[in-house]
Amino acid sequence: MTTREIATHLARTSRAFPLLGEITREDLLTLVTTDLGHPDSLDDFQPCGTHRARAIAPRTILHVISGNTPHAGLQTLLRGLLLGSHNLCKIPRTGAPELNAFAAALPPVLANRVEISSDLNDEWLTHADALVVFGDDDTIAHFRALTRPDQIFVAHGHRVSFGVIFGDHAGAAPAAARDASLFDQQGCLSPHLFYVARDARSFAARLAHEMEAFEKHSPRGKLGPSESAAIAEVRATAAFRAAQGEEVALWQSRDSTAWTVIFQNSTAFIPSCLNRVIRVLPLPDDLPAALAPVRLHLSTVGIWPVTDEIVARLADTGVSRICPLGNMQNPPLTWHADGQRALAPLVRWLDWES
Amino acid sequence: MSGRVLAAEIELETAVLAFMAGDRTASFEELALRVFRFQQEHNAPYAAFCGSASVGHWRDIPAVPQSAFKHAALRCFPAEETAKTFRTSGTTGEGFGEHHYRSTRLYDAAVLTGWDALGLPLLRQFVLAATPGEAPHSSLSHMFGTLGARGAQKYYAPDAFDVAELAADLEESREPVALLGTALAFLAFFDRLGVRKLNLPDGSFAMETGGYKGSGRDITKAALYARFGDSLGLPPESIINEYGMTEMSSQFYTRGLGAPHAGPPWVRALVIDPETGRDAVPGAVGVLRIFDLANLGSVIAIQTHDLAIACGEGFELLGRDPAALPRGCSRAADELLSR
Repeated sequence: MTTREIATHLARTSRAFPLLGEITREDLLTLVTTDLGHPDSLDDFQPCGTHRARAIAPRTILHVISGNTPHAGLQTLLRGLLLGSHNLCKIPRTGAPELNAFAAALPPVLANRVEISSDLNDEWLTHADALVVFGDDDTIAHFRALTRPDQIFVAHGHRVSFGVIFGDHAGAAPAAARDASLFDQQGCLSPHLFYVARDARSFAARLAHEMEAFEKHSPRGKLGPSESAAIAEVRATAAFRAAQGEEVALWQSRDSTAWTVIFQNSTAFIPSCLNRVIRVLPLPDDLPAALAPVRLHLSTVGIWPVTDEIVARLADTGVSRICPLGNMQNPPLTWHADGQRALAPLVRWLDWES
Repeated sequence: MSGRVLAAEIELETAVLAFMAGDRTASFEELALRVFRFQQEHNAPYAAFCGSASVGHWRDIPAVPQSAFKHAALRCFPAEETAKTFRTSGTTGEGFGEHHYRSTRLYDAAVLTGWDALGLPLLRQFVLAATPGEAPHSSLSHMFGTLGARGAQKYYAPDAFDVAELAADLEESREPVALLGTALAFLAFFDRLGVRKLNLPDGSFAMETGGYKGSGRDITKAALYARFGDSLGLPPESIINEYGMTEMSSQFYTRGLGAPHAGPPWVRALVIDPETGRDAVPGAVGVLRIFDLANLGSVIAIQTHDLAIACGEGFELLGRDPAALPRGCSRAADELLSR
């Protein structure tokens, strides 16, 4: 099967998965072109400087998928299929229903290139030419240690994201609420906090209103006692500090932990306990200093509004992605996850000099 | 401090001490409300937190989160009258909390009366902890030091003690002994003992306390107690777990495996549903809220972050459940920043 044929099948299957965004055959071929130089690089030798070259995909890719966002799992499988590889997907014990549904929706020619299991057998590890691992530092270290020198290893570690609002609070608030609520904040593209250029406190009040609205049409998932307790503690601490006259304010859902907004007049990045707990801080003059504690873990910054000047201001903060607020959870197919190219690290090249 | 305030505090302190000693002229309910009103009047940060909350029953007394001790000096007396300050370990990146005392009379009485209620024999104590002198701000060392009134003590500083010396001291004991320390200190001791097994004289017991926060270790209580058996020959019934914290002046105890923690008559524990802030339904997991009369000089009601299930007057302690924390590529605060 050629890359173009595969792209046709994948575009058709993806239509039933709005989670992936709108993906056309052309989008998929653009991804191949961006990463490998030509849409047919995997099928035929293509001009490459003074010679010709062909990309060789791994025969088998082992994807180690984490449970927090279905999106990352679907994307990595999609890429593996696009490369023409056989895909072994190790999913969490808690399951990955979206991935199973996607595999089931594939035409048989592609479906037989996917195996999904929550158990990892040694055969999979031995068999794989490449490993793509999502997870925390321990998971990544674990699989890195199991990888042979001849196997390709691509890691996606844990990341944190945030947003910056420079103006137009009314427009920004619903977009911010969407980014902070989707996937219950479990993904690496979920914002932990928003920095606001002017009058952060009044933005926090608007955001609270929008978090409530989002909760009404898309209620947060049920939490375990430990996660609920973490939210209760964050809220009680904010309430205590506010009572002491500190510049802290708290907005929260009633009789539940469904959503929480905390305004705090401080600047250093504060990671959230997640599950729709979001802080609003004033934008500091020295943003890189405020981000220093998490610099090595930064992923996306969502901005509002989008201007060249704002993009230039945020380009050197250590993030690997800048996007409009409201779109934080929807990276394009061609995005460089964690600053890496999607397909290029997985292939090797065969040169032909005539 | 004005004479009137001091007199009010001493009168309450005397009443609580009498209650600890078994005098029931005043009930827990009555004393709890008196302590609360005293604190509302003299502890400004706590009063600000309580606002105009109307309190008719000890259950309604507003509980401060443990973190409050990091953000305000929660005391009912002027700072210059502080005689003792205990500090929390401060592993979450927000700095440490402080619990101030004008006197440790109530604290010490709580430690000894609570301990005596366990009905343990007076034994020579081997303590795996820093001495109170070495760690003047550790409430745990202070508690161990106070228990010195119930047996001669020898201390072995964790991380630094000579394993051979402790092993020899234990092996030479002809009389039963008491071993006191944190769970982590015991684990380190067992690790360093290796396969060697010391057999403590019959009637010996151990008291372990504390979790594994920030240590990177996580073992079940059953596994920990199995190691007490392997290394010291102690059966679970001879091991006592103490549940306490810097923010609290009294202790809860349980013996062996499977029994709930129980506190002395001057404390109460509620299990709260963190979703709603109200009592958890019976049998359900919630967060522990403690009411401790011995916290007279600070705040009577503390909202802990420990998970528990209510069990009669006591509770089954689950601690912080690491398996319930969010997994995957986005991580919550302490985990991310601890790396």
